[in-house]
Amino acid sequence: MLRDQFPILQRKVNGHPLVYLDNAATTQKPQVVLDAMNDYYSKSNANVHRAVHTLAGEATEGYESCRSKLKQRYNADRAILTSGTTEAINLVAHAWGRAKLQSGDVIVLTEMEHHSDIVPWQMLSEERGVELRYVPVSQDFTLDMEAFEHALDGAALVCVVHTSNVLGVRNPLEEIIEKSQAVGARVLIDAAQGLPHSTVDFQSFGADFMAFSAHKMCGPTGIGALLVTQSAFDEMEPFMGGGDMIETVTIEGSTYQTNEHKFEAGTPRIAEAIGWTAALEWMETFDLENEHSRLIEIASWVAEELRGLGMNVYGRHGEHDAAVVSFLHPTINSEDMAHLLDARGFAVRTGHHCAQPLLHRLGISGTVRASFYVYNTREEAEALVDELRGIVEKFA
Amino acid sequence: MTYPEALQELVEEFQAIEDKRERLEMLFELADEVVELPNDQWDDETRVRGCQSEAHVRIGITDGRIQFLSAADARMVQGLMGILTIALDGLTPAQAVLIPPTFAEEMGLLNTLTPSRSNGFRNMYDKVMTELRQNRGD
Repeated sequence: MLRDQFPILQRKVNGHPLVYLDNAATTQKPQVVLDAMNDYYSKSNANVHRAVHTLAGEATEGYESCRSKLKQRYNADRAILTSGTTEAINLVAHAWGRAKLQSGDVIVLTEMEHHSDIVPWQMLSEERGVELRYVPVSQDFTLDMEAFEHALDGAALVCVVHTSNVLGVRNPLEEIIEKSQAVGARVLIDAAQGLPHSTVDFQSFGADFMAFSAHKMCGPTGIGALLVTQSAFDEMEPFMGGGDMIETVTIEGSTYQTNEHKFEAGTPRIAEAIGWTAALEWMETFDLENEHSRLIEIASWVAEELRGLGMNVYGRHGEHDAAVVSFLHPTINSEDMAHLLDARGFAVRTGHHCAQPLLHRLGISGTVRASFYVYNTREEAEALVDELRGIVEKFA
Repeated sequence: MTYPEALQELVEEFQAIEDKRERLEMLFELADEVVELPNDQWDDETRVRGCQSEAHVRIGITDGRIQFLSAADARMVQGLMGILTIALDGLTPAQAVLIPPTFAEEMGLLNTLTPSRSNGFRNMYDKVMTELRQNRGD
Protein backbone atom coordinates (compact mmCIF):
# COMPACT_ATOMS: atom_id res chain seq x y z
CA MET A 1 0.00 0.00 0.00
CA LEU A 2 1.29 3.42 -0.98
CA ARG A 3 0.65 4.80 2.48
CA ASP A 4 2.85 2.18 4.15
CA GLN A 5 5.89 3.71 2.50
CA PHE A 6 5.66 6.79 4.76
CA PRO A 7 7.14 6.00 8.18
CA ILE A 8 5.83 9.21 9.75
CA LEU A 9 2.25 8.16 9.10
CA GLN A 10 2.69 5.37 11.64
CA ARG A 11 3.18 7.76 14.53
CA LYS A 12 0.66 8.94 17.06
CA VAL A 13 0.03 12.55 17.99
CA ASN A 14 -1.40 13.34 21.40
CA GLY A 15 -2.24 9.66 21.80
CA HIS A 16 -4.14 9.44 18.50
CA PRO A 17 -3.14 8.16 15.05
CA LEU A 18 -1.74 11.05 12.99
CA VAL A 19 -4.12 12.26 10.30
CA TYR A 20 -1.90 14.54 8.27
CA LEU A 21 -3.97 17.06 6.31
CA ASP A 22 -1.51 19.93 5.94
CA ASN A 23 -0.18 18.82 2.57
CA ALA A 24 -0.55 22.19 0.88
CA ALA A 25 2.08 23.41 3.38
CA THR A 26 4.37 20.42 2.94
CA THR A 27 4.00 16.74 2.17
CA GLN A 28 5.49 13.77 3.98
CA LYS A 29 8.42 11.79 2.55
CA PRO A 30 8.41 8.14 1.49
CA GLN A 31 11.15 5.82 2.70
CA VAL A 32 12.90 5.88 -0.69
CA VAL A 33 13.52 9.63 -0.33
CA LEU A 34 14.87 9.24 3.20
CA ASP A 35 17.09 6.36 2.05
CA ALA A 36 18.42 8.28 -0.96
CA MET A 37 19.49 11.23 1.20
CA ASN A 38 20.92 8.98 3.89
CA ASP A 39 22.85 6.97 1.27
CA TYR A 40 24.33 10.12 -0.19
CA TYR A 41 25.61 11.32 3.18
CA SER A 42 26.69 7.81 4.20
CA LYS A 43 28.47 6.84 0.99
CA SER A 44 29.01 9.66 -1.50
CA ASN A 45 29.17 12.99 0.32
CA ALA A 46 31.42 15.42 -1.57
CA ASN A 47 31.16 18.77 -3.28
CA VAL A 48 30.01 18.92 -6.89
CA HIS A 49 31.47 20.09 -10.19
CA ARG A 50 35.04 20.51 -8.91
CA ALA A 51 37.23 17.63 -7.84
CA VAL A 52 38.10 14.58 -9.93
CA HIS A 53 37.85 12.02 -7.14
CA THR A 54 35.24 9.28 -7.15
CA LEU A 55 33.02 10.74 -4.45
CA ALA A 56 32.92 14.12 -6.19
CA GLY A 57 31.89 12.35 -9.37
CA GLU A 58 29.09 10.49 -7.60
CA ALA A 59 27.86 13.67 -5.91
CA THR A 60 27.92 15.58 -9.20
CA GLU A 61 26.09 12.80 -10.96
CA GLY A 62 23.49 12.69 -8.20
CA TYR A 63 22.96 16.45 -8.25
CA GLU A 64 22.77 16.72 -12.03
CA SER A 65 20.45 13.73 -12.26
CA CYS A 66 17.83 15.87 -10.54
CA ARG A 67 18.07 18.49 -13.28
CA SER A 68 17.93 15.80 -15.97
CA LYS A 69 14.91 14.24 -14.34
CA LEU A 70 13.10 17.60 -14.16
CA LYS A 71 13.87 18.40 -17.79
CA GLN A 72 12.67 14.98 -18.88
CA ARG A 73 9.53 14.91 -16.71
CA TYR A 74 8.39 18.40 -17.66
CA ASN A 75 9.99 18.65 -21.12
CA ALA A 76 11.85 21.85 -20.25
CA ASP A 77 14.76 23.61 -21.99
CA ARG A 78 16.26 24.81 -18.76
CA ALA A 79 15.83 23.79 -15.12
CA ILE A 80 17.57 26.00 -12.55
CA LEU A 81 17.72 24.43 -9.10
CA THR A 82 16.75 26.87 -6.34
CA SER A 83 15.87 26.65 -2.67
CA GLY A 84 12.19 26.48 -3.58
CA THR A 85 9.38 28.39 -5.26
CA THR A 86 10.10 31.61 -3.38
CA GLU A 87 13.72 31.74 -4.47
CA ALA A 88 12.73 30.76 -8.01
CA ILE A 89 10.37 33.73 -8.28
CA ASN A 90 12.89 36.07 -6.68
CA LEU A 91 15.43 34.79 -9.20
CA VAL A 92 13.15 35.86 -12.05
CA ALA A 93 12.61 39.25 -10.38
CA HIS A 94 16.37 39.79 -10.09
CA ALA A 95 17.88 37.99 -13.07
CA TRP A 96 15.19 38.76 -15.64
CA GLY A 97 13.17 41.61 -14.11
CA ARG A 98 16.10 43.84 -13.29
CA ALA A 99 17.67 43.15 -16.70
CA LYS A 100 14.54 43.77 -18.75
CA LEU A 101 12.09 46.01 -16.88
CA GLN A 102 12.23 49.72 -16.25
CA SER A 103 10.04 52.54 -15.03
CA GLY A 104 6.62 52.47 -16.64
CA ASP A 105 6.70 48.77 -17.57
CA VAL A 106 3.72 46.76 -16.39
CA ILE A 107 3.55 43.51 -14.42
CA VAL A 108 0.16 41.83 -14.11
CA LEU A 109 -0.43 39.85 -10.90
CA THR A 110 -3.59 38.43 -9.39
CA GLU A 111 -5.18 38.77 -5.97
CA MET A 112 -4.94 35.00 -5.72
CA GLU A 113 -1.14 35.00 -5.49
CA HIS A 114 0.86 33.67 -2.58
CA HIS A 115 2.97 36.38 -0.94
CA SER A 116 6.02 34.88 -2.65
CA ASP A 117 4.56 35.97 -5.99
CA ILE A 118 3.65 39.46 -4.75
CA VAL A 119 6.44 40.74 -2.52
CA PRO A 120 9.35 40.27 -4.98
CA TRP A 121 7.39 42.32 -7.54
CA GLN A 122 6.53 45.01 -5.02
CA MET A 123 10.23 45.30 -4.20
CA LEU A 124 11.05 45.57 -7.90
CA SER A 125 8.29 48.13 -8.33
CA GLU A 126 9.70 50.28 -5.53
CA GLU A 127 13.19 50.02 -6.95
CA ARG A 128 12.40 50.53 -10.63
CA GLY A 129 9.02 52.24 -10.78
CA VAL A 130 7.42 49.26 -12.49
CA GLU A 131 3.62 49.36 -12.43
CA LEU A 132 1.81 46.44 -10.76
CA ARG A 133 -1.76 45.58 -11.75
CA TYR A 134 -3.77 43.05 -9.74
CA VAL A 135 -6.50 40.96 -11.33
CA PRO A 136 -9.37 40.64 -8.84
CA VAL A 137 -10.95 37.39 -7.65
CA SER A 138 -14.70 37.06 -8.15
CA GLN A 139 -17.25 35.80 -5.63
CA ASP A 140 -17.20 32.37 -7.31
CA PHE A 141 -13.51 32.07 -6.33
CA THR A 142 -12.22 32.45 -9.90
CA LEU A 143 -10.19 35.20 -11.53
CA ASP A 144 -12.11 38.02 -13.15
CA MET A 145 -10.99 37.27 -16.70
CA GLU A 146 -12.53 40.42 -18.13
CA ALA A 147 -10.41 42.47 -15.72
CA PHE A 148 -7.43 40.32 -16.68
CA GLU A 149 -7.84 41.26 -20.34
CA HIS A 150 -7.99 44.94 -19.46
CA ALA A 151 -4.92 44.62 -17.24
CA LEU A 152 -2.93 43.06 -20.09
CA ASP A 153 -2.70 46.31 -22.01
CA GLY A 154 1.02 47.07 -22.30
CA ALA A 155 2.06 44.25 -19.94
CA ALA A 156 5.66 43.01 -20.05
CA LEU A 157 5.18 40.18 -17.56
CA VAL A 158 2.19 38.23 -16.26
CA CYS A 159 2.60 36.32 -12.98
CA VAL A 160 -0.14 33.92 -12.03
CA VAL A 161 -0.58 31.12 -9.57
CA HIS A 162 -1.28 27.72 -11.15
CA THR A 163 -3.53 26.60 -8.29
CA SER A 164 -4.52 28.64 -5.24
CA ASN A 165 -3.09 27.36 -1.97
CA VAL A 166 -6.16 28.67 -0.13
CA LEU A 167 -8.99 27.76 -2.51
CA GLY A 168 -7.52 24.88 -4.47
CA VAL A 169 -8.85 26.59 -7.59
CA ARG A 170 -6.81 25.89 -10.73
CA ASN A 171 -6.67 28.96 -12.91
CA PRO A 172 -7.40 28.92 -16.68
CA LEU A 173 -3.69 28.90 -17.44
CA GLU A 174 -3.99 28.00 -21.12
CA GLU A 175 -6.22 31.03 -21.75
CA ILE A 176 -4.03 33.29 -19.60
CA ILE A 177 -0.87 32.22 -21.44
CA GLU A 178 -2.45 32.58 -24.88
CA LYS A 179 -3.75 36.08 -24.17
CA SER A 180 -0.50 37.16 -22.53
CA GLN A 181 1.53 35.93 -25.49
CA ALA A 182 -0.79 37.85 -27.81
CA VAL A 183 0.36 41.12 -26.20
CA GLY A 184 3.99 40.02 -26.10
CA ALA A 185 4.18 39.54 -22.34
CA ARG A 186 6.36 36.91 -20.69
CA VAL A 187 4.46 34.58 -18.34
CA LEU A 188 5.53 33.23 -14.96
CA ILE A 189 3.51 30.43 -13.38
CA ASP A 190 3.76 29.79 -9.63
CA ALA A 191 3.17 26.05 -9.79
CA ALA A 192 3.95 25.20 -6.15
CA GLN A 193 0.44 23.82 -5.62
CA GLY A 194 -0.16 22.73 -9.20
CA LEU A 195 2.63 20.32 -10.07
CA PRO A 196 2.13 18.07 -7.03
CA HIS A 197 -1.30 17.24 -8.45
CA SER A 198 -0.67 17.20 -12.20
CA THR A 199 2.14 17.22 -14.67
CA VAL A 200 2.84 19.54 -17.56
CA ASP A 201 4.64 19.64 -20.89
CA PHE A 202 6.46 22.91 -20.29
CA GLN A 203 7.50 23.55 -23.89
CA SER A 204 4.04 23.17 -25.35
CA PHE A 205 2.40 24.86 -22.35
CA GLY A 206 3.75 28.23 -23.48
CA ALA A 207 4.78 29.83 -20.17
CA ASP A 208 8.28 31.32 -19.95
CA PHE A 209 8.95 30.61 -16.28
CA MET A 210 7.53 27.98 -13.95
CA ALA A 211 8.46 27.87 -10.26
CA PHE A 212 7.81 25.00 -7.86
CA SER A 213 9.11 23.19 -4.77
CA ALA A 214 10.16 19.63 -4.06
CA HIS A 215 8.69 19.44 -0.59
CA LYS A 216 5.11 19.71 -1.79
CA MET A 217 5.55 16.58 -3.89
CA CYS A 218 7.12 14.20 -1.34
CA GLY A 219 10.65 15.55 -1.86
CA PRO A 220 12.87 17.30 0.70
CA THR A 221 12.52 20.88 1.92
CA GLY A 222 15.14 23.39 0.77
CA ILE A 223 15.03 22.65 -2.94
CA GLY A 224 12.87 23.65 -5.86
CA ALA A 225 13.24 24.64 -9.46
CA LEU A 226 12.65 27.30 -12.03
CA LEU A 227 11.84 25.94 -15.48
CA VAL A 228 12.74 28.49 -18.15
CA THR A 229 12.38 28.61 -21.93
CA GLN A 230 15.66 29.07 -23.78
CA SER A 231 14.63 32.50 -25.08
CA ALA A 232 13.79 33.79 -21.59
CA PHE A 233 16.92 32.13 -20.20
CA ASP A 234 19.01 34.08 -22.72
CA GLU A 235 17.61 37.33 -21.32
CA MET A 236 18.56 36.55 -17.72
CA GLU A 237 21.60 38.21 -16.14
CA PRO A 238 23.52 36.63 -13.24
CA PHE A 239 21.97 37.37 -9.86
CA MET A 240 24.06 35.88 -7.08
CA GLY A 241 27.81 35.93 -7.61
CA GLY A 242 30.22 33.35 -6.26
CA GLY A 243 31.79 29.99 -6.91
CA ASP A 244 30.46 27.56 -9.50
CA MET A 245 28.64 30.23 -11.51
CA ILE A 246 31.79 31.60 -13.12
CA GLU A 247 33.91 30.56 -16.04
CA THR A 248 36.98 32.64 -15.22
CA VAL A 249 37.79 35.15 -12.50
CA THR A 250 40.63 37.66 -12.71
CA ILE A 251 41.19 40.81 -10.72
CA GLU A 252 39.96 42.71 -13.76
CA GLY A 253 36.64 40.90 -13.79
CA SER A 254 34.80 37.63 -14.29
CA THR A 255 33.09 35.69 -17.02
CA TYR A 256 30.15 33.45 -16.32
CA GLN A 257 28.92 29.97 -17.07
CA THR A 258 26.42 29.82 -19.89
CA ASN A 259 24.25 27.01 -18.55
CA GLU A 260 22.03 26.81 -15.43
CA HIS A 261 25.11 26.91 -13.19
CA LYS A 262 25.23 30.64 -13.90
CA PHE A 263 22.31 30.95 -11.47
CA GLU A 264 23.45 28.41 -8.88
CA ALA A 265 26.34 30.17 -7.12
CA GLY A 266 28.00 28.38 -4.23
CA THR A 267 27.72 24.80 -3.04
CA PRO A 268 24.25 23.67 -4.05
CA ARG A 269 21.70 21.50 -2.24
CA ILE A 270 23.21 18.18 -3.17
CA ALA A 271 21.46 15.81 -0.76
CA GLU A 272 18.17 17.58 -1.42
CA ALA A 273 18.57 17.22 -5.18
CA ILE A 274 19.25 13.51 -4.75
CA GLY A 275 16.23 13.20 -2.47
CA TRP A 276 14.04 15.05 -4.97
CA THR A 277 15.15 12.75 -7.79
CA ALA A 278 14.08 9.79 -5.64
CA ALA A 279 10.72 11.48 -5.02
CA LEU A 280 10.18 12.18 -8.71
CA GLU A 281 11.01 8.58 -9.58
CA TRP A 282 8.71 7.39 -6.82
CA MET A 283 5.87 9.50 -8.21
CA GLU A 284 6.17 7.55 -11.45
CA THR A 285 5.23 4.33 -9.64
CA PHE A 286 1.55 5.29 -9.60
CA ASP A 287 -0.93 7.13 -11.79
CA LEU A 288 -0.97 10.72 -10.55
CA GLU A 289 -4.06 11.56 -12.57
CA ASN A 290 -6.04 8.73 -10.95
CA GLU A 291 -4.81 9.75 -7.52
CA HIS A 292 -5.84 13.32 -8.19
CA SER A 293 -9.34 12.24 -9.22
CA ARG A 294 -9.65 10.20 -6.03
CA LEU A 295 -8.47 13.10 -3.87
CA ILE A 296 -10.68 15.75 -5.43
CA GLU A 297 -13.64 13.43 -4.93
CA ILE A 298 -12.71 13.16 -1.23
CA ALA A 299 -12.22 16.94 -0.93
CA SER A 300 -15.52 17.61 -2.65
CA TRP A 301 -17.28 15.21 -0.28
CA VAL A 302 -15.64 16.84 2.77
CA ALA A 303 -16.65 20.31 1.53
CA GLU A 304 -20.26 19.22 1.18
CA GLU A 305 -20.31 17.62 4.62
CA LEU A 306 -18.81 20.73 6.21
CA ARG A 307 -21.45 22.92 4.58
CA GLY A 308 -23.95 20.60 6.19
CA LEU A 309 -22.33 21.33 9.56
CA GLY A 310 -22.90 25.05 9.02
CA MET A 311 -19.36 25.85 7.88
CA ASN A 312 -18.55 28.42 5.21
CA VAL A 313 -16.42 26.62 2.61
CA TYR A 314 -14.15 28.59 0.27
CA GLY A 315 -13.49 26.95 -3.09
CA ARG A 316 -15.37 25.11 -5.81
CA HIS A 317 -13.61 21.69 -5.89
CA GLY A 318 -13.82 21.23 -9.62
CA GLU A 319 -12.29 18.36 -11.55
CA HIS A 320 -8.88 20.02 -11.99
CA ASP A 321 -8.72 21.87 -8.67
CA ALA A 322 -6.44 20.77 -5.84
CA ALA A 323 -7.82 18.70 -2.96
CA VAL A 324 -7.87 21.63 -0.55
CA VAL A 325 -10.80 22.45 1.72
CA SER A 326 -10.69 25.88 3.36
CA PHE A 327 -13.46 26.53 5.83
CA LEU A 328 -14.67 28.62 8.73
CA HIS A 329 -17.38 28.11 11.31
CA PRO A 330 -19.53 31.18 12.02
CA THR A 331 -18.91 31.06 15.80
CA ILE A 332 -15.94 28.80 16.50
CA ASN A 333 -12.60 30.56 16.11
CA SER A 334 -10.40 28.94 13.47
CA GLU A 335 -7.38 28.62 15.74
CA ASP A 336 -9.47 27.08 18.50
CA MET A 337 -10.79 24.63 15.93
CA ALA A 338 -7.28 23.68 14.79
CA HIS A 339 -6.09 23.16 18.38
CA LEU A 340 -9.07 20.96 19.16
CA LEU A 341 -8.33 18.91 16.02
CA ASP A 342 -4.64 18.65 16.91
CA ALA A 343 -5.58 17.27 20.31
CA ARG A 344 -7.12 14.32 18.43
CA GLY A 345 -4.19 13.86 16.02
CA PHE A 346 -5.43 15.88 13.02
CA ALA A 347 -2.86 18.22 11.44
CA VAL A 348 -4.56 21.11 9.61
CA ARG A 349 -3.44 24.65 8.88
CA THR A 350 -4.97 27.90 10.07
CA GLY A 351 -4.27 31.53 9.33
CA HIS A 352 -3.89 33.62 6.22
CA HIS A 353 -1.87 30.98 4.31
CA CYS A 354 0.50 33.71 3.06
CA ALA A 355 -2.25 35.02 0.78
CA GLN A 356 -3.55 38.09 2.61
CA PRO A 357 -4.80 39.99 -0.47
CA LEU A 358 -7.01 37.03 -1.39
CA LEU A 359 -8.42 36.74 2.13
CA HIS A 360 -9.00 40.48 2.17
CA ARG A 361 -11.01 40.12 -1.03
CA LEU A 362 -13.02 37.31 0.58
CA GLY A 363 -13.61 39.52 3.62
CA ILE A 364 -11.97 37.15 6.10
CA SER A 365 -8.67 37.11 7.98
CA GLY A 366 -7.96 33.38 7.82
CA THR A 367 -9.39 29.92 7.34
CA VAL A 368 -8.92 26.40 8.60
CA ARG A 369 -7.46 24.42 5.73
CA ALA A 370 -7.45 20.65 5.27
CA SER A 371 -5.38 19.61 2.26
CA PHE A 372 -5.16 16.03 1.00
CA TYR A 373 -2.40 14.16 -0.76
CA VAL A 374 -1.73 10.77 -2.27
CA TYR A 375 -1.42 8.87 1.04
CA ASN A 376 -4.65 10.23 2.52
CA THR A 377 -7.63 7.92 2.67
CA ARG A 378 -11.39 8.25 2.56
CA GLU A 379 -11.42 6.92 6.13
CA GLU A 380 -9.26 9.82 7.29
CA ALA A 381 -11.63 12.27 5.61
CA GLU A 382 -14.58 10.61 7.34
CA ALA A 383 -12.75 10.79 10.68
CA LEU A 384 -12.13 14.52 10.11
CA VAL A 385 -15.79 15.17 9.41
CA ASP A 386 -16.81 13.14 12.48
CA GLU A 387 -14.38 15.05 14.68
CA LEU A 388 -15.59 18.39 13.33
CA ARG A 389 -19.19 17.35 13.92
CA GLY A 390 -18.32 16.66 17.55
CA ILE A 391 -16.53 20.00 17.90
CA VAL A 392 -19.49 21.89 16.42
CA GLU A 393 -21.94 20.08 18.69
CA LYS A 394 -19.89 20.88 21.77
CA PHE A 395 -18.49 24.35 21.11
CA ALA A 396 -20.78 26.15 18.65
CA MET B 1 9.35 32.20 43.94
CA THR B 2 6.02 30.69 44.84
CA TYR B 3 2.97 31.76 42.88
CA PRO B 4 -0.06 33.47 44.40
CA GLU B 5 -2.30 30.79 45.89
CA ALA B 6 -5.00 30.88 43.17
CA LEU B 7 -2.39 30.57 40.43
CA GLN B 8 -0.60 27.73 42.24
CA GLU B 9 -3.90 25.83 42.42
CA LEU B 10 -4.42 26.29 38.70
CA VAL B 11 -0.91 25.04 37.95
CA GLU B 12 -1.63 21.89 39.94
CA GLU B 13 -5.01 21.38 38.27
CA PHE B 14 -3.48 21.56 34.79
CA GLN B 15 -0.65 19.24 35.82
CA ALA B 16 -3.20 16.63 36.84
CA ILE B 17 -4.69 16.48 33.32
CA GLU B 18 -2.92 14.15 30.91
CA ASP B 19 -5.19 14.44 27.88
CA LYS B 20 -4.41 17.40 25.69
CA ARG B 21 -8.04 17.86 24.65
CA GLU B 22 -9.10 18.05 28.30
CA ARG B 23 -6.37 20.62 29.00
CA LEU B 24 -7.64 22.67 26.10
CA GLU B 25 -11.22 22.44 27.30
CA MET B 26 -10.16 23.60 30.77
CA LEU B 27 -8.28 26.48 29.18
CA PHE B 28 -11.41 27.37 27.19
CA GLU B 29 -13.44 27.43 30.41
CA LEU B 30 -11.00 29.88 31.98
CA ALA B 31 -11.91 32.33 29.21
CA ASP B 32 -15.00 33.10 31.31
CA GLU B 33 -12.74 34.58 34.03
CA VAL B 34 -11.76 37.49 31.79
CA VAL B 35 -12.91 41.00 32.68
CA GLU B 36 -13.69 42.07 29.15
CA LEU B 37 -12.04 45.02 27.48
CA PRO B 38 -14.85 46.31 25.23
CA ASN B 39 -14.22 46.11 21.51
CA ASP B 40 -14.52 49.88 21.06
CA GLN B 41 -11.51 50.34 23.38
CA TRP B 42 -9.20 48.16 21.26
CA ASP B 43 -6.40 50.16 19.71
CA ASP B 44 -2.68 49.93 18.96
CA GLU B 45 -1.90 50.67 22.61
CA THR B 46 -3.87 47.65 23.81
CA ARG B 47 -2.92 45.21 21.03
CA VAL B 48 -0.72 42.23 21.91
CA ARG B 49 1.68 41.68 19.05
CA GLY B 50 2.80 38.24 17.92
CA CYS B 51 -0.63 36.67 18.28
CA GLN B 52 -2.21 35.12 15.20
CA SER B 53 -5.59 36.44 16.29
CA GLU B 54 -6.68 39.76 17.78
CA ALA B 55 -5.66 40.06 21.44
CA HIS B 56 -5.94 43.20 23.58
CA VAL B 57 -5.05 43.97 27.21
CA ARG B 58 -5.29 47.00 29.47
CA ILE B 59 -4.08 47.44 33.03
CA GLY B 60 -6.07 49.59 35.41
CA ILE B 61 -5.15 50.38 39.02
CA THR B 62 -7.94 51.02 41.53
CA ASP B 63 -7.02 51.80 45.15
CA GLY B 64 -3.54 50.46 44.46
CA ARG B 65 -4.87 47.12 43.21
CA ILE B 66 -4.68 45.74 39.69
CA GLN B 67 -7.66 45.59 37.40
CA PHE B 68 -6.78 43.50 34.32
CA LEU B 69 -9.02 43.97 31.30
CA SER B 70 -8.55 41.83 28.23
CA ALA B 71 -10.22 40.35 25.15
CA ALA B 72 -9.36 38.11 22.22
CA ASP B 73 -11.21 36.56 19.32
CA ALA B 74 -9.86 33.07 20.02
CA ARG B 75 -11.21 31.28 23.07
CA MET B 76 -7.84 29.76 23.72
CA VAL B 77 -6.18 33.16 23.95
CA GLN B 78 -8.98 34.34 26.20
CA GLY B 79 -8.27 31.31 28.37
CA LEU B 80 -4.68 32.46 28.78
CA MET B 81 -6.01 35.89 29.65
CA GLY B 82 -8.33 34.25 32.17
CA ILE B 83 -5.31 32.66 33.87
CA LEU B 84 -3.58 36.04 34.04
CA THR B 85 -6.78 37.57 35.44
CA ILE B 86 -6.81 35.00 38.25
CA ALA B 87 -3.07 35.44 38.80
CA LEU B 88 -3.21 39.22 39.04
CA ASP B 89 -6.52 39.65 40.84
CA GLY B 90 -6.22 41.81 43.94
CA LEU B 91 -2.44 42.16 43.76
CA THR B 92 -0.51 45.40 43.85
CA PRO B 93 1.76 46.10 40.87
CA ALA B 94 4.79 45.55 43.14
CA GLN B 95 3.53 42.03 44.02
CA ALA B 96 2.46 41.19 40.47
CA VAL B 97 5.78 41.93 38.80
CA LEU B 98 7.36 39.18 40.90
CA ILE B 99 5.27 36.48 39.14
CA PRO B 100 7.53 34.71 36.64
CA PRO B 101 6.14 33.54 33.25
CA THR B 102 7.06 29.93 34.02
CA PHE B 103 3.55 29.00 35.15
CA ALA B 104 2.35 28.52 31.55
CA GLU B 105 5.08 25.97 30.95
CA GLU B 106 4.42 24.26 34.28
CA MET B 107 0.73 23.98 33.35
CA GLY B 108 1.75 22.10 30.19
CA LEU B 109 0.26 24.89 28.12
CA LEU B 110 3.34 25.68 26.12
CA ASN B 111 3.22 22.09 24.88
CA THR B 112 -0.42 22.62 24.06
CA LEU B 113 0.26 25.82 22.21
CA THR B 114 1.92 26.34 18.88
CA PRO B 115 5.23 28.20 18.86
CA SER B 116 3.55 31.34 17.54
CA ARG B 117 1.02 31.14 20.33
CA SER B 118 3.78 30.55 22.86
CA ASN B 119 5.44 33.71 21.61
CA GLY B 120 2.07 35.43 21.73
CA PHE B 121 1.65 34.39 25.35
CA ARG B 122 5.12 35.63 26.19
CA ASN B 123 4.39 38.91 24.40
CA MET B 124 1.19 39.28 26.39
CA TYR B 125 2.99 38.53 29.67
CA ASP B 126 5.80 40.96 28.81
CA LYS B 127 3.34 43.70 27.83
CA VAL B 128 1.40 43.30 31.07
CA MET B 129 4.55 43.27 33.20
CA THR B 130 5.99 46.31 31.41
CA GLU B 131 2.82 48.27 32.07
CA LEU B 132 2.79 47.16 35.70
CA ARG B 133 6.38 48.31 36.17
CA GLN B 134 5.42 51.67 34.68
CA ASN B 135 2.48 51.85 37.09
CA ARG B 136 4.82 51.02 39.94
CA GLY B 137 6.99 53.89 38.86
CA ASP B 138 10.04 51.81 37.80
